[in-house]
Amino acid sequence: MKRLKIISVVIAFFLTISNAAWAEETYRLRVDGLACPFCAYGVEKKLKNTEGVIGVDIQINDGIVLVTVEDGARFDEAQARRIMEEAGFTLRSFERIEA
Amino acid sequence: MGSVMRATSFLCQHLFCVVSSRPCIQRATVGGVVAWIFFAVVGGTAIAHGPLFSPAPETIWAGGAEITLGYHRAEAGAGREQNGFLEAKYGLTSRWEIGVELPYVSRRVDGIGAGGLGDLTFAAKYQFWRQDLPGAQYKTTGFVNVKVPTADNGQNLRLGSGSTDVIAGLAAGYESRRWYWFASSAYRFNSEGDGGLKQGDRQFLSAVGGIRPILNEYNEPDTVLMLELNWERADRDSLNSLPLADTGGWTLFASPVIWWTYRQAAVRAGVQIPLTDDLNGAQSSADYRAKVELVYHF
Repeated sequence: MKRLKIISVVIAFFLTISNAAWAEETYRLRVDGLACPFCAYGVEKKLKNTEGVIGVDIQINDGIVLVTVEDGARFDEAQARRIMEEAGFTLRSFERIEA
Repeated sequence: MGSVMRATSFLCQHLFCVVSSRPCIQRATVGGVVAWIFFAVVGGTAIAHGPLFSPAPETIWAGGAEITLGYHRAEAGAGREQNGFLEAKYGLTSRWEIGVELPYVSRRVDGIGAGGLGDLTFAAKYQFWRQDLPGAQYKTTGFVNVKVPTADNGQNLRLGSGSTDVIAGLAAGYESRRWYWFASSAYRFNSEGDGGLKQGDRQFLSAVGGIRPILNEYNEPDTVLMLELNWERADRDSLNSLPLADTGGWTLFASPVIWWTYRQAAVRAGVQIPLTDDLNGAQSSADYRAKVELVYHF
C-alpha cells in the first residue's frame, strides 16, 4: 500500500513537471493586408524564425494569425507589429487567448 | 528617305554576321522581326502574384529570397526566340527589393539560328506607398532595371542589344481575397550599342484585372486568373544616328494569365495575343508570346 502511494506521488510529480514543461501560450493576431496565401508565406517564415514560437496557424479568410509560443518565451505586441511590418503587412490587433 | 534606306542596308550587316544570298530588303524585314522579339523579352517583369507580362507592385518580405526559373517564347513572321532564364530576388526590407536575371537565349530568324547567354539585368524596386485593409492591400512601387551587354553578339544573330539600357517605371495595384487590379507604366532608355546601332526607346502601359474563383485557406492550393492589356511602343532604331525604316511602332496585346500556388511555390503561365498594331515599314506583326515560370520563395 505504501509502495502504491509512493508510485502515485512520483507519477503525479512527473505529470506536473511535464505539464509545466509543455505549457504554451497562444496569441491571436488580426492582420490587415492578408490577401493571398503565396504572399502570406512571409508571415509564417518570419514568425517561425522568432525565438520561442512553436506554432503558426494562418486563417487567411479571416485575416487572423494564431501564434503559439513556449511558456515563458517573450512575445509581445511590439514584436508582433515589427514582424508584420517586415513581412509586408499591418498588425491591427493583438490578444492573448486564455487557455 | 534615302538615308533611311542606306541605314537599313547597313543594318543587314549588323544584325546578321553571315552573308545571305537573300535580297537585302528581305533581310531587313527580318531585322524588324528581331527587334520586336528583343522587345518582347525585356518588356515584362513579374513578381509574386502580380501580372506576368507587365511590372508588378509587389516586393518580397525583409530577408526573403525568391528564385524564378522561366521559359519565354515569342514568334513573329519568320522569327522565333526562346528564352530560358534564372532570376533571383532579395528583400532588403519589406519595401526595398533587389534582383538579378540571367537569360539563355535561343534565336532563329529565317533559317539562321544562334544561342547562348543573353544580357544580364539588375533590378531594384521600392514600394513607396502601401495601405493595408482587412483582406486587401493597395500598393504603389517605383522600379529601375539596368540591362548590361553581356550577351555573345559574335554569332550569326545577335543575342543581346549590345548596349546598356535602363527601364524605369511605376506600378500600382489592389489585391484582395477575391479581386485584383494593377496598372503600370514604364519607359526603356536604350543607349547606342556596338557598331553604332541604337534601338529605339520603348514605352509600356498596362492594365490588369484578376479574380480568385475559390477562396481556399492558407495551406490549400490556390488559383488566380488574370487578364492583362499590354500596350507597347517603340521609337525607330537608328544606325549612326540615321533612322531605320523597318523599325518602331506599337502593338496592343490581350494576355490571359493563370497562377497556381501552394505555400511558397508557384507556377504561372500566360500568352500574349496581339489585338492590333501599327508598325513602321515592312515588319512582321507578333504572332504570340508565351511565358511559363516556376517560382519558389524562402
